[in-house]
Amino acid sequence: MTQLERQQRGLLDLIKNRGVPPEDPYLRQVANSRELEMVREIAIWWRAFQIEDQCRFTSRLLKRCECFEDVVVTYFNNHRTSPFIEELSQDFLNSLVDDPDWLIRAVSQFELALLKVRAGSAECFEVLWDRYPENVILALEESSRLPPPESGCVYRMRIGRDLPRTVVCTREYTDDPA
Amino acid sequence: MASVDQVIRPRPLPALATTYEGEDLALLERIVPLIDTIEISPDAIAQSAGKQACLRPEILEEYASVLPHVNFIAHGVGLSIGSFDHWNEGYIGLLDELFERLNLEWHSEHLACTQVADENVGTMLPLPRTEEALDLICARVGALQKRYGVPFLLEHVIRLLPDMPGEFTPAGFLNAITSRTGCGLILDAYNLECDAYNQGLNISAFLDELNLAPVRELHLAGGVQRRGFHLDIHSNPTRDSTLDLGLDIIRRTPNLDVVTYEFLKEAVVLLGHDGICNELVRIRQAIQQ
Repeated sequence: MTQLERQQRGLLDLIKNRGVPPEDPYLRQVANSRELEMVREIAIWWRAFQIEDQCRFTSRLLKRCECFEDVVVTYFNNHRTSPFIEELSQDFLNSLVDDPDWLIRAVSQFELALLKVRAGSAECFEVLWDRYPENVILALEESSRLPPPESGCVYRMRIGRDLPRTVVCTREYTDDPA
Repeated sequence: MASVDQVIRPRPLPALATTYEGEDLALLERIVPLIDTIEISPDAIAQSAGKQACLRPEILEEYASVLPHVNFIAHGVGLSIGSFDHWNEGYIGLLDELFERLNLEWHSEHLACTQVADENVGTMLPLPRTEEALDLICARVGALQKRYGVPFLLEHVIRLLPDMPGEFTPAGFLNAITSRTGCGLILDAYNLECDAYNQGLNISAFLDELNLAPVRELHLAGGVQRRGFHLDIHSNPTRDSTLDLGLDIIRRTPNLDVVTYEFLKEAVVLLGHDGICNELVRIRQAIQQ
């Protein structure tokens, strides 16, 4: 490994806050510097800015849950973030597919489906909601109170370019609510 | 340092350029009468198209619509000319497309690394000023010059992280690149001020040591201060001190062709169309004095 490669790989790890503490004296100096914190902050600020712009509903929901910054930092540190905003936003939303919070999962996957359809995907996507989706979106749009989960039913939403008005949602009654 | 002959020889005033990244036709209409050249950042007008990126056709149309009135130069962000392994081939694809569509006077890139082992760093890392980095940069500059046949310029980036161990001074490294490759340089007055504030760069000594003949373009911008750092987030009008430094650079550079006022697309809402136009008028007047 050349000196340049060692430095660049080391700096990437430091900026992404990963890997073991460096042995290289220069990288050790960087690791302990306030400048590194500033560089990290700038890198994450840009990602957050782009995500807020492209993933409006998910960002608003994450802010309501007071976890937006933490989620973006975790995403930045653990993913190969794309310089292209369309890829970054889709990849970010995709990273929330297994989020333990049903609502975060539903809103992010709904927004991801919309982005994909707008980008020309012919695929039909399905998202399950534990409350009436339109009220959630409206609450996020208007910064009003989010509706509570509904027991005894789920909302099955399909998103596809061939569907009437792109989105179709049906309520299904269940014995075992989510 | 420039000779006395070079300093006193009358020369044409540099052209005025500014950033325009599309999707704001009202701004485009207002800036075109005020400028000579538009600076295009291929990365900023690109969209991902499956495995590879392409330029957004609607924005290329906007440029084409003002073709008779302005010239174009390209200024990249994502080539990552200093990556240890390889540069960003995706950016080269964008540049190829832009050269096919527009007649570019030159193209330029930051002397930096934005991806490491194909991973986006999220910022611009400056390079160590070493023989190893010099060899790598010069080989790639040569390849770019051969590929496009128009001048290629490099711009120094601000240094936020502690300086890496190196074998050259900041100006000496740029001198070595330009003398070995014949490429041009962009000097960014605000970046120099950032380095002076954040890293203690002696701007006067830097300019005295730098071979100013390859400097073809000057960048002016206004940034932000945060947590005791001056940052190159171009979102403000140019400060008087930056403009004064820029004018000093104009006086000292014998081959300067273009002065570019740079701002981020995201900052248009803060600056306002009036603010941007006022800034262009102000810079033009300063250049003409």
